[in-house]
Amino acid sequence: MSRRPVNPSLKRKRPETDSPGLVDAERAILNSIKGKKDLGIWARDIKQETKLTDHVVNKSLKSLLAKKLIKEVVNIQNKGKKHYMAVEFEPSKEISGGEWYVDGNLDKELINVLKQLCFRYLRTQKVATLEGVYNELKKNRVVTFDISNQQVSEILNSMVLDNDLIEVKSTGLGDYHSIPIGTVCYRIASAAGVAKGPRMGAFASIPCGACPRISLCTPNGVISPGTCVYYTKWLSIDF
Amino acid sequence: MVSPHGVQLATHLISSFYGDLCSKVCECLLRRGTLTLAQIIRFTELSRENVINCLRVLIHQNCVQAFAIQQEGAFGEAPRIITQYMALFDNMIHKMRAPKFMQIVSEELGKDCLGIFQGLIQHGRLSINQIIDRNEQTAGSADVHVVRESFNRLLIARFIERCPAPEPFLAPPADGETPAKKRGAKSAKIGEERQTTEQRALAAAAPMDSMRFLMEMDDPSEEKSEECTNSVTVGEKRKQDVLKSDEDALDADKKKEVLWRVNFEELVRRLRHKACVSYVKMRINDEAAIVLSAMLELSRHSETRQKAENSAYLSINAIYDEVIKKEGGLGMDFERIRASLEQLGCQCLETGVDENYSIDIKGIIESAQTEEVESVVLRRYGREAYRIFRLLSKAGRFLESDKISDTTFVEKKDTIKILYKLWKDDYLHMEKVMTSGAKQSLFLLWRVNKEPLREHVLDEMYHAALNLRLRIAHEQDKGKEILQLPREKLVGELEKRYKLLGKVRVILESSLMNLDEAIMLFHDF
Repeated sequence: MSRRPVNPSLKRKRPETDSPGLVDAERAILNSIKGKKDLGIWARDIKQETKLTDHVVNKSLKSLLAKKLIKEVVNIQNKGKKHYMAVEFEPSKEISGGEWYVDGNLDKELINVLKQLCFRYLRTQKVATLEGVYNELKKNRVVTFDISNQQVSEILNSMVLDNDLIEVKSTGLGDYHSIPIGTVCYRIASAAGVAKGPRMGAFASIPCGACPRISLCTPNGVISPGTCVYYTKWLSIDF
Repeated sequence: MVSPHGVQLATHLISSFYGDLCSKVCECLLRRGTLTLAQIIRFTELSRENVINCLRVLIHQNCVQAFAIQQEGAFGEAPRIITQYMALFDNMIHKMRAPKFMQIVSEELGKDCLGIFQGLIQHGRLSINQIIDRNEQTAGSADVHVVRESFNRLLIARFIERCPAPEPFLAPPADGETPAKKRGAKSAKIGEERQTTEQRALAAAAPMDSMRFLMEMDDPSEEKSEECTNSVTVGEKRKQDVLKSDEDALDADKKKEVLWRVNFEELVRRLRHKACVSYVKMRINDEAAIVLSAMLELSRHSETRQKAENSAYLSINAIYDEVIKKEGGLGMDFERIRASLEQLGCQCLETGVDENYSIDIKGIIESAQTEEVESVVLRRYGREAYRIFRLLSKAGRFLESDKISDTTFVEKKDTIKILYKLWKDDYLHMEKVMTSGAKQSLFLLWRVNKEPLREHVLDEMYHAALNLRLRIAHEQDKGKEILQLPREKLVGELEKRYKLLGKVRVILESSLMNLDEAIMLFHDF
């Protein structure tokens, strides 16, 4: 309780001694930045809040940055806008994009590795619940950071959307004997039926199904089935 | 209303089977809706005689149905009875599926029945005497009894039926409103009203259920002598016959001879069941497919509507008895059947000692449709779009862009790009929401609108089917010289090209057949 108010005041004292001319402006700006806590604030919004001129604001920001009182953060919503945040805060989920983002970019590699791990585990287990996968990942310490249950669930869900996994309810029989009836479990999509992953539909397997120009195609038009290059390519492949 | 490319495909089919004049009449009817003879003449700018002949052929081929309605006379004149013609879109498209239908008949009933069935496919409508004649010509000498026997078997299997009434009269609707004479320019409300008129006409034309599959006991000696001596094929004969008999009122029924035609309804039902079974086989497993096919077999006769949503409730004992008759079903016991029923998501109804099951056919069809659309999205827009689309289609409600991006692990910028692309091509529905608080912000909400999407995809599939047919024609045209060469000249380079042409044709035609299955999945099932 008592520490926090003391620290900023200490920090604020120092600039006072260095450059007395800018103290008020800097203090006002620092306060407005701190007021936003872990959300950060856009440079233009600072100007509006403090009603200072561009020049003063820019200069103060530079000086505050130099004194390591504030830092620049990337806002996932708008990467072009420069956001500032006081050093003692970590960017919130809204700003950073959540656990899956590193410096404003989606950590695809991490996601793919996790997907592969889940897939491998499910292949050996045939069927598993969210808890099961989560415990396995924790136990094996394959991930260096502290993965949450929520994150594992997100990974599994995206694999369901990819049609790599299917969500099933335990029947309590066969493979499900160790899982209470009615619990949601995951299993590999290809293991259940003959089909592996997403099936190629009849329409998708001919050029027209994949054609981005189908709306422009007419029997005697510039794009027509008789002259279609996609068809020619398709039919010249050896089947 | 039929989708634009559906009309194009139907017109193309009719033109390749019955010529350009007929296809012109068809197109006119499909585009403008039900018309009178005078209107057809005016819109197609063909001569009266041509139009009448075309209508004759089309009615004979079950592509057009006539019906009479009462129209109020203008300026105090007495009401008149006018004849209107409506196009039967489905039957036109069925022309493309003839090989599939014939395969069903040949698998189930054998060669003799196939011969008769083929005749009906080719000629549209035939009387029993004409069928016997035709059989004599094609198979050389044929026993009349054998033909009648096969005919009866077709009838019992409901593959054929009595033709509908040539021109049923529709009593004017209760509110006194008759379909507008000038359509096209009129609003959609009239379109709706007319839709019901057409459905009423079809219902009025259809023979009563008790009559529909009833074999008549007529005397074979009634045959007209001129028909027996005539050596031309049945189709031409029939046409000449019609030409002679009625000059103007082409629907005045000529004789009391009963005409028969193919019953597409039953055949489509078989294909529907087949599609369900093969989908389940692929998605669940073979055992579930066996159980499903047994259930469908059992409930087939109680299916009254074309697109039954659920099967009837069947007792486990009946299902078991049917399952063990199936190939691969002999080893199955009650426990495994129950497990399969569970996997199929069957509804169980326990009454006393008996347990009954019903299967959700519509659900299976719908998941097959969804899968087909998803595979198009995957192929056309890539894996990330596939994930996004599946999320939205599973959710079945509006989702916000950021939420979509988070759940599917797609970069926010890319998510927006993909969403816009899908939206532009009519795969998604989008709504903008503005919040007017302290900070104004714009949210984009997205969802999959299943019904319009289904129609959109169906239209694209009609387009693709037309394209395949046109390409087949194009390839044939290109290789005309080679195809016309005598066999012994096909050596070296020529032989290679000949073989290539054959291969290309096989690819195109098998693709067309597969695509047609998908079309049926969306339109007929």
